[in-house]
Amino acid sequence: MMALLPTALQDMQALGSADWIGGAPLLCITVGILLGLLAEIVPAFQPARGAAFVVSLLAALVFEMRLIAEPVGVVFQGTFAADRTSALWGVLFVFSALLAWLYGQRYYKTEKPFVAEHDLLMLCSVLGMMVMAGAEDLLTFFVGLELLSVPLYALASFQRIKNRSVEAGLRYFLLGAFAAGLFLYGASLIYTSTGTITLEGLREVGLTSKLGVLGAALVASALFFKVSVFPFHFWVPDVYQGAPTPVTTFMATGTKAAGFAFLLKIAFLLPESAAITLAVISLVTMAIGNLGALVQTDLKRLLGYSSVAHAGTLLLVVTAALVGDPDPEGPLRAALYYMAAYVFTAAGAFGLVAVLEGDGEHFTKLESLRGLGQRRPILASALSVFMLSLGGFPATGGFFGKYYVFSSTLRADLLFVSVIGVLLSVIALGYYLNVVLTMWMKPEPEGQAPPVAYRPSASFATGVCLFLVFALGLAPGWFLERFF
Amino acid sequence: MLAALTFLPVLGALLIAFTPRGAVALQRLLALFFTLVVAGLGITLYLGFDGSVAGAQQVFDRAWFTLPTGAGDIPVHLKLGVDGVSILLVALTAVLMPIVVVSTKVHIDKRVKEFMIWLLLMEAGMLGVFLSLDLILFYFFWELSLIPLYFILGIWGGERRLYATTKFFLYTVAGSLLMMLGVIWLTWSAQTADIPTLIEVAGTLPAAQQVWMFGAFALGFAIKVPMLPFHTWLADAHTEAPTSGSVLLAGVLLKMGTYGLLRFGIQMFPGVALEHSGLFMGIGAIGIVYGAFLAMAQTDIKRLVACSSVSHLGFVVMGLFAMTTEGLRGSVLQMVNHGLSTGLLFLLVGMIYERRHTRDFDQYGGIASVMPVFALFFVFSMLSSVGLPSLNGFVGEYLILLGTFQASPLWACIGVTGVIFGAVYLLMATRKLLFGPVTVEANRGLKDLDAREIGLMIPLVLLCVWIGLKPGSFIDKTSGSLDHLVERIDALRPVEAGAATTTPGEFALPAAEVGEIR
Repeated sequence: MMALLPTALQDMQALGSADWIGGAPLLCITVGILLGLLAEIVPAFQPARGAAFVVSLLAALVFEMRLIAEPVGVVFQGTFAADRTSALWGVLFVFSALLAWLYGQRYYKTEKPFVAEHDLLMLCSVLGMMVMAGAEDLLTFFVGLELLSVPLYALASFQRIKNRSVEAGLRYFLLGAFAAGLFLYGASLIYTSTGTITLEGLREVGLTSKLGVLGAALVASALFFKVSVFPFHFWVPDVYQGAPTPVTTFMATGTKAAGFAFLLKIAFLLPESAAITLAVISLVTMAIGNLGALVQTDLKRLLGYSSVAHAGTLLLVVTAALVGDPDPEGPLRAALYYMAAYVFTAAGAFGLVAVLEGDGEHFTKLESLRGLGQRRPILASALSVFMLSLGGFPATGGFFGKYYVFSSTLRADLLFVSVIGVLLSVIALGYYLNVVLTMWMKPEPEGQAPPVAYRPSASFATGVCLFLVFALGLAPGWFLERFF
Repeated sequence: MLAALTFLPVLGALLIAFTPRGAVALQRLLALFFTLVVAGLGITLYLGFDGSVAGAQQVFDRAWFTLPTGAGDIPVHLKLGVDGVSILLVALTAVLMPIVVVSTKVHIDKRVKEFMIWLLLMEAGMLGVFLSLDLILFYFFWELSLIPLYFILGIWGGERRLYATTKFFLYTVAGSLLMMLGVIWLTWSAQTADIPTLIEVAGTLPAAQQVWMFGAFALGFAIKVPMLPFHTWLADAHTEAPTSGSVLLAGVLLKMGTYGLLRFGIQMFPGVALEHSGLFMGIGAIGIVYGAFLAMAQTDIKRLVACSSVSHLGFVVMGLFAMTTEGLRGSVLQMVNHGLSTGLLFLLVGMIYERRHTRDFDQYGGIASVMPVFALFFVFSMLSSVGLPSLNGFVGEYLILLGTFQASPLWACIGVTGVIFGAVYLLMATRKLLFGPVTVEANRGLKDLDAREIGLMIPLVLLCVWIGLKPGSFIDKTSGSLDHLVERIDALRPVEAGAATTTPGEFALPAAEVGEIR
């Protein structure tokens, strides 16, 4: 033990200033985790726990913003890319966690004594996401993946007195372990065939052997599992429904973004002939997600299926990147914009589900949304905006997300795929509108309206989401100039 | 001025949103005030518009954002402007809105606040569609104008309103999403989103690409019009909509489709449009006859008027794709005419529905003896819709048929039969509704129209007569833009065909006849 210390100090000295700046967001969150743990041990610090959570994330946000302005490139001896792209993804992860946390305030009742664990686990997950988005070799990525997943297994079953929640956690864990296995196996095959696991090395060597391609396919499958793409999407509706809603919010937005961040990074590993397969997979994913959502009677489950459909749409971008968009930045920009719009929209939508659950357990049923427009007009308006943004309507961020995605596929000459994709998104409008329709157009059911539990943090989070959804939809130039 | 025209209604909607829920009178008053101001602006715009200029006037232009692509950034602007293609529709929208607001007094009795908000937002959307001179801005308004009608239909509609509104929405959205692909592709390959520039350069893109883009746009607009195979949403939507919704739908919203066909079909891709003009004229002509037959078979007054819309819009499409001076002028005028006469018919149907709460022909008969003023207005609107000379419908249909005859005698002849069938179903409807003995007891006690109801129809009636007697002053407003368009089309015609169809003066109207029409 004592012998290790000098080596560690030596390693620390070997870090240059670029490493410190590049790793600053990760460090902020690590410090936040440590402070959180400390606050648990020392009772006097307990009131500061929430502050530690928020401040560490905000500090990470500030450093990410700085990295966007002045990226430092690959750091930590070629294992972590602290560039604009990973910083942009990082910003999304931070927002995803903050929003989920805000919606989580006063959400838990019987689990209240354990909320500290909840917050800590969430921070660990954010750290994992950041490592994933910046990873420059497969093993670093795997560390990030596990750092993301393990806390989420626990978070999914956080409401341990509820069978559903425990089941969701178990299900997510079993399939997640399977996916992790797939990833490691794929990485080992890639290593066997090329002798390297760094992305830079792989870019130079290229995957020529069949063994290597098989490895890449396995790695991609593991990622498909995380971003919920067909045929690895089956867990999504159950887990999304069973997990506590703030956790679902976080999973649907953050995890998906992290998966796609790396998927876009390693798209070059796949052979160009895989484009057709990818296109088919994305269209099938869209179809399954949209058709599945069409028959749901529960809002939370519906949003789960919708999240599958959105993963399909984003996979179209990966396909475009693989085929070759004449604008090399195009697919990445499309994915980031789409994901940014999705993060704020879905966080808002899931968050409002959490708010509704506060009124009573059954209030996530579509049927119970009847007359919500009259009962709680502001909440219903906000939820309608989120639904329209998920459907990609103008004036909301979802529109430009969709616009950029299909710009990218059209530029890559995927005309037929684009047409089918667009038609599939018409189905999506069928169920998004059904939610709107139920809230505003169906008569209110008989009986006493439940008392409204007012939660300022949730209102604040909804306000932030609404503002950003409209900002992304009305002033895209502001974001494009600064961040893309 | 144009920015004020487009965004004043939004301001009005915001103001109404902050009024207390119970203050119904205040909400109605605010909505009326804002629509009247917009109407005033619209009329000023119309009077100040110089019809002899081909390009856009009163242009409002602000940079919005830049759309990055690999090959260079495309600037997107908040650019509004009015030209001969849009001026009549802008004026029509502005004038129709206050009338719609007044017409809601009886039949919108619940959730008035929401209704007025949606109504004003819809006005902004519709004016935005007609005024946008930037493709992306246009698409913005195009999709946004769907949402207000979705709510108006879904909340204040009839019994099957949820079905009708969902069907309407999904149909039109399917079309407009495919159109989005066209928008993306066009802006990217032409590297601009500016509509006047696009009109210049779109013809220089590869021919095969043009066909696809034209197809994407035409499909979106064809669903909106609706042209023949896509017409099924219309009857449901019209029937279930509240009166004010129907008036707007017929008066303005469907015109967005025909306007789009003219602006983005013919003006932007004249070559492709010319090549496929036969197909569109054919669909238009068949639509005329088919719509008329559909109307004949209806037992529901409102559905009958809705089906007559299919027929009338068939005329507009046929005239547009005749692509001759007369055809285009007639179509643009007929868009307004249809808005006026069908709007009147829907208002009247709404008025009788408010009294009897049924739209079934069997429940009526002999209304003329109980409600003479109503009968007067109904017969007037019906005749305007049929196309009686000296009323507005005649001028439009006459010009359209004249224009189409030059391009394709066959379709013109088929279209002419539509005029006859149109007279048949409308006269039949009038007879069933107004004349004969009063068979249903409940009809005996019906009150005739009151001052409000008469007052709100008077402006429309006056416009019908005015257009009928002096169409020239309206047509002149459009001539600059349309003549320029026809010049461009004629330059594209194959030489031998050109000699056979239009060289003005030789084959077009004799001068005396033109004078008569004017």
